Amino acid sequence: MAKTILIVDDSESIREIVSFTLENEGYNVLVGEDGQDALKHLNKGPIDLILTDLHMPVMNGIEFIKAVRSNADYKTVPILFLTTESQAAKKMEAKEAGATGWIIKPFVPAKLIEAINKVMR
Amino acid sequence: MDNFKRKFVEEALDLINELETVLLRIASNPEDKELIEHIFRIMHTLKGNSAMFGFSMIDQYTHQLETIYDLIRNGKMKVTDDLMDLTLASVDHIRNLLDEDNSGKEEVQSVHKDLLGRISNIIEGKTSQPAEKKEAAVEDNGIKTYYVHFQPNTDILSNGTNPLFLVEDFKPLGNYIAVPSLEQLPPLQDMDPEKCYTSWEIILSTKESQDKIQEIFIFVEDSCNLEIIKVCDNDILSQPEIVSKIEEITINYKGIGLQKLKEIASADEKQEVRNAQLTPRSVEPTTTLKNISNIRVSSEKLDELINLVSELVTTQAGLSLIAENINDKELLVIAEDVEKLSRRLRDSTFSIRLIPIENMITRFQRLVRELSHELKKEIIFRTEGTDIELDKNMIEGLIDPIMHIIRNSIDHGIEKPEERKKKGKPSTGVITFKAYYSGSNVYIQVNDDGSGIDVNKIKHHAVSKGLISSDSSLSSKEILDLIFLPGFSTAENVTNISGRGVGMDVVKRKISDLRGEINIDTSINEGTTITVKLPLTLSIIDGLLVEIDDAYFVIPLASVNKCFEFKHETLVNAVNNLIFVNDGHIPFIYLRNEFGIASQCPDLEQVVIIEYGDVRIGLTVDRVVGEYQAVLKSLGTMYKKQDIISGATILGDGTVALVVDPNKIINQFNYQNQINIS
Repeated sequence: MAKTILIVDDSESIREIVSFTLENEGYNVLVGEDGQDALKHLNKGPIDLILTDLHMPVMNGIEFIKAVRSNADYKTVPILFLTTESQAAKKMEAKEAGATGWIIKPFVPAKLIEAINKVMR
Repeated sequence: MDNFKRKFVEEALDLINELETVLLRIASNPEDKELIEHIFRIMHTLKGNSAMFGFSMIDQYTHQLETIYDLIRNGKMKVTDDLMDLTLASVDHIRNLLDEDNSGKEEVQSVHKDLLGRISNIIEGKTSQPAEKKEAAVEDNGIKTYYVHFQPNTDILSNGTNPLFLVEDFKPLGNYIAVPSLEQLPPLQDMDPEKCYTSWEIILSTKESQDKIQEIFIFVEDSCNLEIIKVCDNDILSQPEIVSKIEEITINYKGIGLQKLKEIASADEKQEVRNAQLTPRSVEPTTTLKNISNIRVSSEKLDELINLVSELVTTQAGLSLIAENINDKELLVIAEDVEKLSRRLRDSTFSIRLIPIENMITRFQRLVRELSHELKKEIIFRTEGTDIELDKNMIEGLIDPIMHIIRNSIDHGIEKPEERKKKGKPSTGVITFKAYYSGSNVYIQVNDDGSGIDVNKIKHHAVSKGLISSDSSLSSKEILDLIFLPGFSTAENVTNISGRGVGMDVVKRKISDLRGEINIDTSINEGTTITVKLPLTLSIIDGLLVEIDDAYFVIPLASVNKCFEFKHETLVNAVNNLIFVNDGHIPFIYLRNEFGIASQCPDLEQVVIIEYGDVRIGLTVDRVVGEYQAVLKSLGTMYKKQDIISGATILGDGTVALVVDPNKIINQFNYQNQINIS
């Protein structure tokens, strides 16, 4: 069975390029436009990995990660967040909220896949 | 041709063994003319035969060696220690070359070059200097050995990290040994299943830098203790003796520690220096050659060992039982340790003879790829259960017949893409290779979703071959079995692919040689499944011990799916013998009735769901006792006819428990009820 990845980002172009890359790798992809929007996917079935941006309207990435972790089904699902090199403090904050790892923007598809393979097999 | 080739390899291995014996004798009798002559003859035979069977590396190699022994034979040279070392190393090297899977490997190639260099040095009258070369090799490869201690915080799982992935990430870096340490593990009652108590010690030999190792842990740097320390500048994991030393220390999940590791590594360096000084009359193979630490043991000795282990397992069960009854904490701990150890002893004893089926899969994969390409067919090859292990001899005996079956599937089974499209099937065909245990057997299935076998055509062909008369009335199964008759397969119905002079009769014979059975199942346009059933040589299985009334039964753990508890009345009132569990209705067998046990049944009964292939059914029992390693004893010929029991085992207290055969139960059930339960 193909693994399912949930992508959460308010930028449509990011959502598209990431979806395209992951679908090419054979993953099922779900998308959410912000944290609040993405939460609707959680109860629809197993998600194997979540990829989220941090800066988003309505519900930002940190709140979203906390919300996901508070759901008993998603206590140990790997969560990766997108960040830039300069945001060391944000990184800590997201890790503390329960994120597994991060991907530094801007990234090339190969880096994305590499990061995903690090936390999910 | 494959057959001839194997014959040659067998022959060559014998010759090499002979050569080795002679060499060891000549070490103490360097002047013995007859022995020299003998060596020369072996070299000569090896050379000639290997050229014929396409082992060009051996040909080239033995040619050089032969030259040396020719010189000695003619008194132009003397047998020296160097030469002895070299020839013995050659013996091992030729063995490697004979294994075609091996001969392409880089290490073998480099050994090849190295040894050839030494031979030509000798021929040119120079003394060979293996010591210098070896040192050069060590410096050249740039491999360093690191010690990594990785202790994740206990809550690491809660942020979605799987520490095992991190350990696996060492794989691309090089050779590694990862030793989990369970020293932090609390007693069971204090254990939180969502916490990680394991730490790992990893010994890695790699060309990569320390940073690269650090990178593996990038996401968890702040949630673990991490030590990465360089142990030494060479590849200690390539040396079997060091690896076995490490394994010895860590056998009980005890940590090895950096200090100890350094000691081992430095002890090895000393040894290398000693080796380098060339001990006189050293008949040990040089350490540049890897993976040659094989010992041949007679099969009687192995059988004896396995018998002893079986006895030990039975005795251990007795100990566990007594410990449980006495309920003394210390005794329980010891009993548990003995159980763990005997389990490991059992596994490693059996594993001496077993290799995973995976070993033969690559050949099939290649066959499918190459043949489908050649025939312009699109085929996916799927495998399932390749981790199942079988006796080495059995695997060797299986390769040919399975190759033939797969070849048939590709050639006759799967249609060309256009044809498949016309039939409304996906253009890509699928061949599935599946292996699984059932009872005391291993089943291997090759399934294709091709055109199937036309029974009428088979009959027609058999009549024209005079195998049956035209008016004989045969069931379709009987007709299918005609395929296995000698003389059925002929040149006119085989293409150049399948027609290699081997018919299905040979396949059947080879399977029977392994005490196996072969079966065909086919349906037009849907495909063909060929099932090979093989006896399992394993005499101990992991089982689930259950109880009905006072009788004990063992269900092989491999086929147990889940256990559920039901009220007696629910089972009695079940419609169509179906019960509802998590994900649907499952038929069940009321074992108490099946076995004619008349006594009062408990209010709460247990249903053990067993799985066989795609079919699942439940078995009702009174009580599930727990996991149990059962030493299988045969029931003897008296019970040959019954269908559900595959053997018996003796429990710790001397009681006999019967081992049920899930496969047969399911078959019988299927048959009795005539319903489709898949």
